[in-house]
Amino acid sequence: MRISRRSFAQGAGSLAALGVMGRSARVLGQTSDELNILCWEGYNTDDVLGPFRDLHPGATVRAESGTSDPDMINRLRAGESNVWHLINVNQPWARAQLYPEGLILPLDQERFMPYFERMTPPYNGPYPLAIAPDGELIGMPQRYGPFSFVVNTDVISRDMAEDQGWNLFLDPALAGRYGILTYDNWNVMHMCITGGLNPFEPLDEAGFVTFRQIADQIFAGARLLTDDLVAMNTALINGEIDCYFTGGTYTASPARLDGLSNVRGITPRSGPINGKGGVVWAELTSVVNNPNASTLAPDFLEYVQAPDICKAVGFAEGTYNPVAQMADPDVLALWDEDELDAIQWDSLPEEMENSVEYDVVASYAELIEIYNAAKRERG
Amino acid sequence: MERLDGRLGFWSAGPIALMLTAFFLAPMVVIAAFSVMPQRVFEFTQMPDFSSYRVIFEQRIYMPLVWSLGMALVATLILFVICWPLAFAMAKVFKRFTLVVTIGVVMTLFVSENIRLFGWILTLMRGGLIEGHLRAWTGLSFESPLYDIPAIVFGLVYVYLPFMLFPLAQGISMVPDDARQAAVDLGASRWRVLWEIELPLAAPGIMVGGLLTFVLAAGAMAEAKLLGGQAVVVISDEIETAFTFGQNWPLGSALAILLIAIIGSLAVFAVSRLDLDALMGRKRS
Amino acid sequence: MSHDHHPIMRLAGVYKRFGDFTALHSVDLDVHEGEFLTIVGPSGSGKTTLIRLMVGMDEPTDGTIWLRSARIDQVPANKRPTCMVFQSLALFPHRSVGQNIEFPLKIRGVNQGDRKTRALELLSLLRLSEHYYHKRIGQCSGGERQRVALARALAFDPEILFFDEPLSALDYRLRKTLERELKDLHARTGKTFVYITHSLEEAMVMSDRIAIMREGRFEQIGPAEEIYAKPISRFVAEFMGEVNLFPVVKAADGLEGQGLAIKTNGHGAGADMQPGARGTLMVRPEAVRFLSVGEAADITVSGRLHSEYRLGSRNQYEVALADGRHVAVEALRQTGHAPPPGAEVTVGWDLAHCHLIAET
Repeated sequence: MRISRRSFAQGAGSLAALGVMGRSARVLGQTSDELNILCWEGYNTDDVLGPFRDLHPGATVRAESGTSDPDMINRLRAGESNVWHLINVNQPWARAQLYPEGLILPLDQERFMPYFERMTPPYNGPYPLAIAPDGELIGMPQRYGPFSFVVNTDVISRDMAEDQGWNLFLDPALAGRYGILTYDNWNVMHMCITGGLNPFEPLDEAGFVTFRQIADQIFAGARLLTDDLVAMNTALINGEIDCYFTGGTYTASPARLDGLSNVRGITPRSGPINGKGGVVWAELTSVVNNPNASTLAPDFLEYVQAPDICKAVGFAEGTYNPVAQMADPDVLALWDEDELDAIQWDSLPEEMENSVEYDVVASYAELIEIYNAAKRERG
Repeated sequence: MERLDGRLGFWSAGPIALMLTAFFLAPMVVIAAFSVMPQRVFEFTQMPDFSSYRVIFEQRIYMPLVWSLGMALVATLILFVICWPLAFAMAKVFKRFTLVVTIGVVMTLFVSENIRLFGWILTLMRGGLIEGHLRAWTGLSFESPLYDIPAIVFGLVYVYLPFMLFPLAQGISMVPDDARQAAVDLGASRWRVLWEIELPLAAPGIMVGGLLTFVLAAGAMAEAKLLGGQAVVVISDEIETAFTFGQNWPLGSALAILLIAIIGSLAVFAVSRLDLDALMGRKRS
Repeated sequence: MSHDHHPIMRLAGVYKRFGDFTALHSVDLDVHEGEFLTIVGPSGSGKTTLIRLMVGMDEPTDGTIWLRSARIDQVPANKRPTCMVFQSLALFPHRSVGQNIEFPLKIRGVNQGDRKTRALELLSLLRLSEHYYHKRIGQCSGGERQRVALARALAFDPEILFFDEPLSALDYRLRKTLERELKDLHARTGKTFVYITHSLEEAMVMSDRIAIMREGRFEQIGPAEEIYAKPISRFVAEFMGEVNLFPVVKAADGLEGQGLAIKTNGHGAGADMQPGARGTLMVRPEAVRFLSVGEAADITVSGRLHSEYRLGSRNQYEVALADGRHVAVEALRQTGHAPPPGAEVTVGWDLAHCHLIAET
């Protein structure tokens, strides 16, 4: 029997109704008594949600944290776009995947543009990466942070680490003395930068070869791999390792707030991307293209701009991060000295200066394949 | 009467059969459909090209599967050897104490696996419970056993112990004392009794325990990620990566289907050779 | 049989205690070469404990056990040249009939060909056809399993073959058949059999000697007929079957019992008792007969016929005496003249059929 592409597609289409459903932009209805948020940890705390619930006593407000950007995006793709009303992911995923695939909706610019004025650069003005190529505003930034690598400054000085940059991990003397935090999409990016490649430009064959060499060497020299930042910090603190590949304020801050200020996120002073070697992430919170839209979704985006809520988001349990709204003195005043030290407030402007924006890795499909092969065949 | 029973049985099995179909089979069908799709697509309305299976073999992505199955096998064998004496004592020697052991072992299941494994990290790491105390008291030090393959196997053995212990104890309790004593009386040594009588008669329990631990260990991820520091990438980790960071659902699906096929045929083989009724203490009429 | 001087197994002063409970009190026993010895006792009398010591599944708390000239009480079961047929038979359900029978030979390292030859020999000795060799235990009937268990024990070629009530779970007819077969097998193999049971009938049918156990001690050991006819205690007398017992006192010219005047004429029951000594006069129901008017017997009593039980070839009657005691009478079904229930009857028996149990 010959299956034409068309007839197969029809058959498969009915099967699709089982799991992957409703990607169309049809709006079935609107609700004002329900809000479901899929987010990185932080927005799901009582400190953030409690006051919002008090403002909307009749509404059911729920939030769930995902374990990674792609994990959360998979859930929308798998049909949960009719469950969630807001999604909070790192900006490249929103711009490169969610918006083009019609999983999120543009925001009302008249309502939200004014909030950018109270933000720190580069998020003020407004943040260019919150704007899609078609000119639509696709999400609101809040938390951000430099993300390169983390060292124990008792063993490797900050100055030396910033100076050496990614070459640190190619030093044979450091073999067996570092860990790899398996935030795989970050590692792909950082291994490119370590190899002197710009991950945001398409790579050629030679680039792939270089990438493979770098990946092999870094995996071979790693003492441990884990995707658990607590386990990684524990290994760093007890001397099992001296630094770890991929990390920053986000991963170092919990240890720093515990008084271990020798755990420090490092941004290299130089690198291959227009001379820069550090990367900074920023989250965008966007309205999901849910057929049952919630009027509470844009309300919530507005609500999290209030100073005390900014603090609650920036200092939620787990990790501590700067928020763009800290340019506003009323917001900044809510952080005490220890809290500012936890997020490396002292070096933040300098680190931002040495970092480029986290962006779509141009040759991601090929690179993740090479990366995974190197990880599989490590040792 | 028997026919009525049969009909009642059929109808009363209906809802659960329906539920199994909906909640168990349907996701499998979706996964199977995705596994034959071209690389990196997010819907299964494309022409199947089976490229994921080709990629798995061409790029040796089956290695995590080999590692998972290998470590699961080793963990299962170790578990069998260490659980046998304890299970034997629970079934034949301990009286009230069996309950104490049972409660003790079951209690551990109330604490999440990740937390228990993290406890082991704190115990085994440099400066942890063991090395830290040793260094403080004697000045001696040693490399932590963490972040290597033996640590992963240790984690598997630790986590899946109850799944070997209880079926084994159940299996051993099926060995009639008379048969063991008769074998001794007919001249068999302790080892011959073990080999000729106890192992074959406890086989259903051994099968169930072995199957449970092997299947669970083959699908385990936390041990390799936490204790093993991903010294090797296990299959469930590889599948998760394919679905998330890899954004390659067909590849992840194909890996999952391979795992399910291997584990499934193993389970079917084992269960077909097993008298479950006997294990449950029911007689066959 | 005259093996008395060379017992194949000898127990001397054997004790077994479990905590505070003493299961065996200083047991002495000689097992003769080639005999069929049955140890009988009610449940809890210690016979199972005793047989476990004899085969080596337990060690005595005190005392010694000898097998011929070797002391074996500390030797474990797998090092003893004896074996036992279990009450449950303890066949190996995962092995075929042939494999079960060959088990002891396999343990001993006998090669496969010889093992099979021997197993087939034993099957035929036990009147099981050759095709049983490949059958599974689950496919065998109760009687067939019994034979397989026997064959397996015989394959071991034990010095003494022990039996722990192996027939107790079988139905009556099969049990009777197997009792005879066992007796026959004993004769054909010439082996020493030690059999324990709570069933007197089994003991009577098969044994050369019977040992009666009670509360961890032997009450009486002797040939079946002797134990039946001349029990040394009320316990043995009652244990050995339906019996009429009358307490008696030795008087100058005979025995004096309530309602019974017995003339012993200087010989027969109680002749060796001192005057004033107490005892129990025993008579088995089959020795008691209904007397017609004018018919004589050494001892006669009168009462009302109370009840009648049919035992197949025999009937048993119970006669209620005026003082409330009952006398059991057993007669062949066809013979005797059985009066209707409720009738006034006289029953009697002769001194020659009496046995006097002296008080100890």
